[in-house]
Amino acid sequence: MHPLRIKNLTKNFGELRAVNHISFDVPESSIFGLIGRNGAGKTTTIRMLMNIYLPDEGEIIFRGNKITPKFKDYVGYLPEERGLYKKMSVIDTLLFFAEIKGKSGSDVRRKAYEYLERFELLERASSKIQDLSKGNQQKIQFISTILHDPDFIILDEPFSGLDPINTELLKDIILEMKEKNKVIILSTHLMDYAEKLCDHIAMIDHGNLILHGNLEEIKKRFSEGKITVIHEGDISFINQLPYVQKVADFGNRTEIKVNDSHHTQDLLKTLVERNVIINKFSANETSLHEIFVELAENNGSEQLKGEF
Amino acid sequence: MNTNKVKGIIKRELKDKLFAKSFIIMTLLIPGIIILSIGIQAWVNSYEEESASKALIVSEIPGLTNELKEEFNQDKSIKAKDYIISYDEMSKADFEINIKKLKPLLLDESLNAIIFIPKTALKNKELIYYSKNPKNRALKSKLGSVINNVLVAKYFSGRELNKKDIAFAKKSIDFNSMKVSAEKIQEEGLGPEILSFGFTFLLYMGLMLSGTLILRSVIEEKSNRIVEVLLSSVSSSDLMIGKIIGASITSLAQMFIWLVPVIIIFSTSWFMLPVKFTFSISIWEWLYFFLNFLIGIVTFLGLFAAVGAIFDNDQDAQSGLWPLMMLIMIPFFIALSVGNNPSNSLAVWTSVLPFSSIIVMPARMTLVDVPVYQFVISIIVNLATLIVIFPVAGKIYRIGILMTGKKPTWKEVAGWVKLKS
Repeated sequence: MHPLRIKNLTKNFGELRAVNHISFDVPESSIFGLIGRNGAGKTTTIRMLMNIYLPDEGEIIFRGNKITPKFKDYVGYLPEERGLYKKMSVIDTLLFFAEIKGKSGSDVRRKAYEYLERFELLERASSKIQDLSKGNQQKIQFISTILHDPDFIILDEPFSGLDPINTELLKDIILEMKEKNKVIILSTHLMDYAEKLCDHIAMIDHGNLILHGNLEEIKKRFSEGKITVIHEGDISFINQLPYVQKVADFGNRTEIKVNDSHHTQDLLKTLVERNVIINKFSANETSLHEIFVELAENNGSEQLKGEF
Repeated sequence: MNTNKVKGIIKRELKDKLFAKSFIIMTLLIPGIIILSIGIQAWVNSYEEESASKALIVSEIPGLTNELKEEFNQDKSIKAKDYIISYDEMSKADFEINIKKLKPLLLDESLNAIIFIPKTALKNKELIYYSKNPKNRALKSKLGSVINNVLVAKYFSGRELNKKDIAFAKKSIDFNSMKVSAEKIQEEGLGPEILSFGFTFLLYMGLMLSGTLILRSVIEEKSNRIVEVLLSSVSSSDLMIGKIIGASITSLAQMFIWLVPVIIIFSTSWFMLPVKFTFSISIWEWLYFFLNFLIGIVTFLGLFAAVGAIFDNDQDAQSGLWPLMMLIMIPFFIALSVGNNPSNSLAVWTSVLPFSSIIVMPARMTLVDVPVYQFVISIIVNLATLIVIFPVAGKIYRIGILMTGKKPTWKEVAGWVKLKS
């Protein structure tokens, strides 16, 4: 059974329907990507998940139970923008956020110092937040998200503002939490990160769920018949080929969609016959970015839904 | 309500506000500002030209100049203030010729005033006052009162009156105010007036300071998006309640710090104060004062928090702030004017109406004995206001705090209130 089930979630703000009948399940031990443009309905969905907004319709089931205000204690939320009190000290900030999650005492304090050490911020424990760099503030925000040992973690653009070393550190900790069977939702508009980290995704556009499912399966499904060719010389003749559905020409790189995957071989053969110099030929490969652009363009005319 | 979480919020608020340097500085500074403002007022009222005023008194009444000289020489305040007064005696016709010659002296201010005392003054006390600035009341009244004394003496001289009678006629009325209360009748000094002014000022400052503090803190949480993290842990009601309790404790503590020295100085015999400055306030009135302040502060904090939640930044919030400022400032000015007559209908009504009673009643109760039923009405009215206001403020706060971007219109805010929660 999936630990988090979202059923038919809907939220209206007056006339505007921000989230429209969204349903998806988040599987155990996975990182789940919530993907969409700004204003797509991600934040509203997250706010419903955290019990900040009450949905107009639908329900959220966490480990078999409908969520209640108590659920907030099991959630760790890292917002996209830094949400810290500038004049508070680092350690006071961490202890305060743990306290309002219902955790206080020497255990939490010890853990706070442990995390500070791990993030190389131990000597800044009594500094004020406003005296820290943006990257360090982001680290404090992240520690405050997980200090109370939540079961369900929502990370909104967790890597923004971090240098490569800290990005790696954060990634390690996220993967550690995954191994500890935590449910992790990663909300982002950066498809690269989502692609590298997520096992499952849900894609939202204009309040609608336009795609969800296992990332590998989705990619496989969308990459069928997709060919990328890096070449020298003109290959515009391929537009005339009967089995070519779509061509996107980027100069030396051309993306081609054929009717069926067995046409891949036909295409390669034709290119060789026409003496095109081919530097790279990759078939049945696509990126999440490409899938997103394709779906966002089509959204409204057709809704695609994958399955686990 | 989750008490542990609310406690966490309260603790943070207290740490941030009550134990902040700026709070301690403001709390210590405000009594100084009050004393300074009373001082400035007194100084402005008693202010006169620093350089000596020069006046010429021309009398048509034979022999009056000598009597004037004598009387002016005897007057202490005239001597102390360094007036230079010259005297002349001439007929009205001569004076009318002379005044044209004297005109340049008035214009270049080598003379500040010329007073002509015609013969008829002994019948109707009507004098003529010539000056570049005839509106100078201080000079006019000072000279006038001395001249009046001389005229009175002159009028009665030669009649069968002794000096004692004349002295009596010259003396103006002096009220010795006695305050009549249910328990006793006692001499009334300046104490109650000073206390009334002090209460008015402290209540005004207390409400304004804590109101703007909570407004800023709500805007900070909203614009920094801290509120998103907070709301992922506590409900918006718990957050608002925690913030308001924290700010109320801070504000009450501030009022205590301000008033405890006053209570000690005036209610113990440790400091010997002149009778003029004493006042009496019962323990019940003190209790009323703090209860009234507590209800007031919670009401206003709710309103200020709601206004803070509507806007994203301090600048936008100004437009929502002025109606609240009016709710504090209008009662403040009414309370200041209550001293003129604490029992007129304006004073009575405003001391039991919502919002205004929070400031007016304490100012009034120091000056007159307010009937118990009026205290009760004011408390009930304020509690009822709180009960009506709080859910509305709470709703605006809950919705506003998560709205960012476009500045909402008042119509939209009214729409939030109507929304089902």
